[in-house]
Amino acid sequence: MKRFFSSAAAGIGGALSGIGGFVRKLWNHPKGRVGLVIALLLAVCAVFAPFIAPYDPYDVTQRVEKGLSPSLQHPLGTTITTGQDIFSMLIYGARVSLVVGIVTGLATAFLGAFMGVLTGYVGGLADMLVMRLVDIMLVIPTLPLTIVLTNLFGKSYFMIIFIFTLFGWTGLARVVRSQVLVLKNSNYVRAAELAGAGRWHIMFRHILPGVSHLLIMSTALTSAGIMVAEAGLSFLGLGDPTAISWGRMLADAQSGGALLFGHWWWIIAPGIGIFLSVFSFMRIGLAMEEIFNPRMKRSSGLYKLFRTLNNDYIQEVFDSMEEGGPGGPGKGGAYDG
Amino acid sequence: MTDKTILHVENLKVIFPNPAGVVRAVEGVSLSVREGECAAIVGESGSGKSVTSLAVMKLLSTPPAVMRVDRLEFDGRDLRDASENEMLDIRGQEMAMIFQDALTALNPVMTIGRQLDEVFIRHRSMKRREARQASIQALKLVGVPSPERRYGDFPHELSGGMRQRVLIAMAFACDPKLIIADEPTTALDVTIQAQVLDVLKTMQRERNTSLILITHDLSVVAHMADTVYVMYCGRIVEKAPLRELFRHPLHPYTEGLMASVPKLNEDTRRFVRIPDAVPNPMRKPAGCTFHPRCRSCTQKCREAMPPLRAAGEDRLVRCWHPVGETENGEGADSHV
Amino acid sequence: MQKGYVLKRILYTVFIFFIVVTLNFFIPRIGVEDPAERYYPPQGNMSEIEYDIVKQLTREQYGFDVSTFQQYLRYVDGLLHGDLGVSFQPGSPKVADLIASRLPWTLVLSVSTLLIGLTAGLLIGSYAAWKRGQRVDTALLNASTITTALPAFFIALLLSLYLGFEWEWFPAYTDPNMVASFDWSWRSIRLVASSAALPILSMSIGSIVSYAQNTRNSVIAVSNEDFILTARAKGLPPRRVLYRHTLRNAMLPIVTNLGMSVSGLIGGAVVIEQIFNWNGMGTLFLNANNTNDYPLMMGIMLFLSLFALVANLVTDLCYCLLDPRVTVGGSR
Repeated sequence: MKRFFSSAAAGIGGALSGIGGFVRKLWNHPKGRVGLVIALLLAVCAVFAPFIAPYDPYDVTQRVEKGLSPSLQHPLGTTITTGQDIFSMLIYGARVSLVVGIVTGLATAFLGAFMGVLTGYVGGLADMLVMRLVDIMLVIPTLPLTIVLTNLFGKSYFMIIFIFTLFGWTGLARVVRSQVLVLKNSNYVRAAELAGAGRWHIMFRHILPGVSHLLIMSTALTSAGIMVAEAGLSFLGLGDPTAISWGRMLADAQSGGALLFGHWWWIIAPGIGIFLSVFSFMRIGLAMEEIFNPRMKRSSGLYKLFRTLNNDYIQEVFDSMEEGGPGGPGKGGAYDG
Repeated sequence: MTDKTILHVENLKVIFPNPAGVVRAVEGVSLSVREGECAAIVGESGSGKSVTSLAVMKLLSTPPAVMRVDRLEFDGRDLRDASENEMLDIRGQEMAMIFQDALTALNPVMTIGRQLDEVFIRHRSMKRREARQASIQALKLVGVPSPERRYGDFPHELSGGMRQRVLIAMAFACDPKLIIADEPTTALDVTIQAQVLDVLKTMQRERNTSLILITHDLSVVAHMADTVYVMYCGRIVEKAPLRELFRHPLHPYTEGLMASVPKLNEDTRRFVRIPDAVPNPMRKPAGCTFHPRCRSCTQKCREAMPPLRAAGEDRLVRCWHPVGETENGEGADSHV
Repeated sequence: MQKGYVLKRILYTVFIFFIVVTLNFFIPRIGVEDPAERYYPPQGNMSEIEYDIVKQLTREQYGFDVSTFQQYLRYVDGLLHGDLGVSFQPGSPKVADLIASRLPWTLVLSVSTLLIGLTAGLLIGSYAAWKRGQRVDTALLNASTITTALPAFFIALLLSLYLGFEWEWFPAYTDPNMVASFDWSWRSIRLVASSAALPILSMSIGSIVSYAQNTRNSVIAVSNEDFILTARAKGLPPRRVLYRHTLRNAMLPIVTNLGMSVSGLIGGAVVIEQIFNWNGMGTLFLNANNTNDYPLMMGIMLFLSLFALVANLVTDLCYCLLDPRVTVGGSR
């Protein structure tokens, strides 16, 4: 077990140093940068909510006149039911969305990685059992089950995180598993095995780094999916009843008559919050996908290139191919073999 | 073989621009094929032979490809201005193609019979039932046993050799004037390979069809070809009649290709391989593209691309120092 | 071989269903010693003795007076006879009857959404693949990033706000008597259609875009296959290549997911039904949740799982017919 921990520590250390590299790569990717910037902005809102929000929506004494339209004091007006400042609620709402999304994303990545490595690397009975488990989980409807479990054990975000982690790892596990099967037969893992490296050592030092990009990608994409789901559950009133979240704001708006009185800002504001958080994490995930799997990349860039392609340049390339012409390098410069 | 030229290509160039640079796939290839002739295009993967064949059939998608050609004449017609509709009539009827891997080249969810029928329905305006008869007949001709039964089979239910025969039957269906076979036997076992090549050769001889055979396998070339074009890095580096080429290769690359085929009756120590790999088509070397891998390379080779020049009857070579020419010595002795 | 595959597949489905049934039986029993406590939680104004009597009655009423194993056997036996138990609702209606009365109304929404999503998605997706890299294609990509980041219930609220309340094109609230007074008359069919418009529209938007995106990717992947080149080299016109060769193969992965999407749609309609006050399974489930009606909740859960299982089985078997390769090994 001690070896397990030392190997695990080394593996995690490697992964952390890898994250810096990922962030740099993301920053250099146009899609990734948009996602990073928005996600950072939201994170700032969540962490420094008390300093950014003009009012404290949790403080009952800071409630004002009900149903105000947007004004300078209340950029997004106030709620019809309680007179809370909607803009402040929007800022505070980022906390729930980000925490639930990111925690579930990370937990799913860990569980998925574990299950994927287990089934791929250990194989055999473990593989068989996990695959049966996946088949069972696929047919159980997640949303109703979440409702049942929150009914049994009380409404809380912990419950939501727990259930979505429990049901969210299957997709990732499958991808990791097939990747592990490839790595398992690769020469360097074989070499490590022949050199007498232990199972845990190989798992953490050789196999996990090989799938780490999948994990980071999946964390981002799962987080995005969970943020949508969380909003839905909060909307149904299944989240922590005391917390302010975007989903609950929408539910309050619906039941509080925002539709009836045409207070569109009360609906649009949390909607934009949800959209931005999901959008930014999706962008990060998709950018990861393109960085690590260039074939996924849309070739629209190529077609754009064609529309703007300089005919003179093409002609020049063709001319350079003529017999007796310079013959040889085009744009690429000299051969550097 | 007659003297009538079926296909005449002059100065074909194909490039693939992409955000990272320009892939120069084909850089001025000229070739001509006479009626009933089998012309082989030999080269390693990435030498531009497959792109050449697709370009001849005008099957290259533009974009991403950009294509230029000075002359593209097929059976006396100029294909350069042929509309896509005209090409649709030519393809499958007058010009047909056989692809490398019959498993991927056949639609997996359609029976082979239906896929054959399509050719007859499209070009011979047959009804379904007539097409079925014609397809079964076509399968019989390429030696598929019990063709009535095989007609209803899906591609994955046939063996590799049978699948390749289906593709051959499909290509010969409308008695085309020209067939382009792109590595027709590469995916097969050696024994099956020979059988399939025999079928191909018999069909070609019987019908006096012209054949462009694209391959990297010199034993296939020896078995089939009349004329051989050797391609390297998107250019033809040598052209010669089959016997001449095997008796006396002129380009060091051809020589290397031949030397890299192990022969049972020769001293195995003389087994030579060409060092390195085909250069990246986006950054080809200056001068003669083969010079980094050539053992008789000189300063001149590094500076200028040699022209394709005549070297004896019906022979062409693109090299400053062809094998056997004095200047730089025989070279053949200088390696170990 | 085909028969063996079908049989194996059916047996496996039964096996999974059996496990799901077992889970379903035990979930409400987690964390309590006596299920009667869960079914009838202690009330504040009730004395110990009174509560004991109530518990005893509950046990008898719901058959908790025998050992857990016997309860389980009884549960399974009931299921085999189509008995999902009795709801807490006044008049103790059977769970199976309640589901049967609500299911058609949910199907109205989910099947229409599926059909609209599939048809429009296939058309748009193949058109985008055809015009790869051009304006339509880029627009589809942008639309898909936007709609996947927008929850369907938010779209529903917006539609309700504008099309329902502001412009009054469609009713934003379903008439609560719609279900009870439905009599196949022209009037009530029109009422259903107009009330269903907004729920269907709000679910369809995401559905169309995601089917279109999947179709587009699938079509492009298939058009890079060798056999498409063969088809073109045969001189087949582009239209025929698209319909006979590309689309047929591109449909395969979409069909595989069809079963899951139907069952997902039924479960996912919960929020939408709630917003538009639509009396379907979702509303039934939420009401059951609010009244702690466990037999009803678990009955709906079980029904949804069974639905998903059967839908999966059916699509798998259909897939067999579409893709001749499947039967070769006996399984995928």
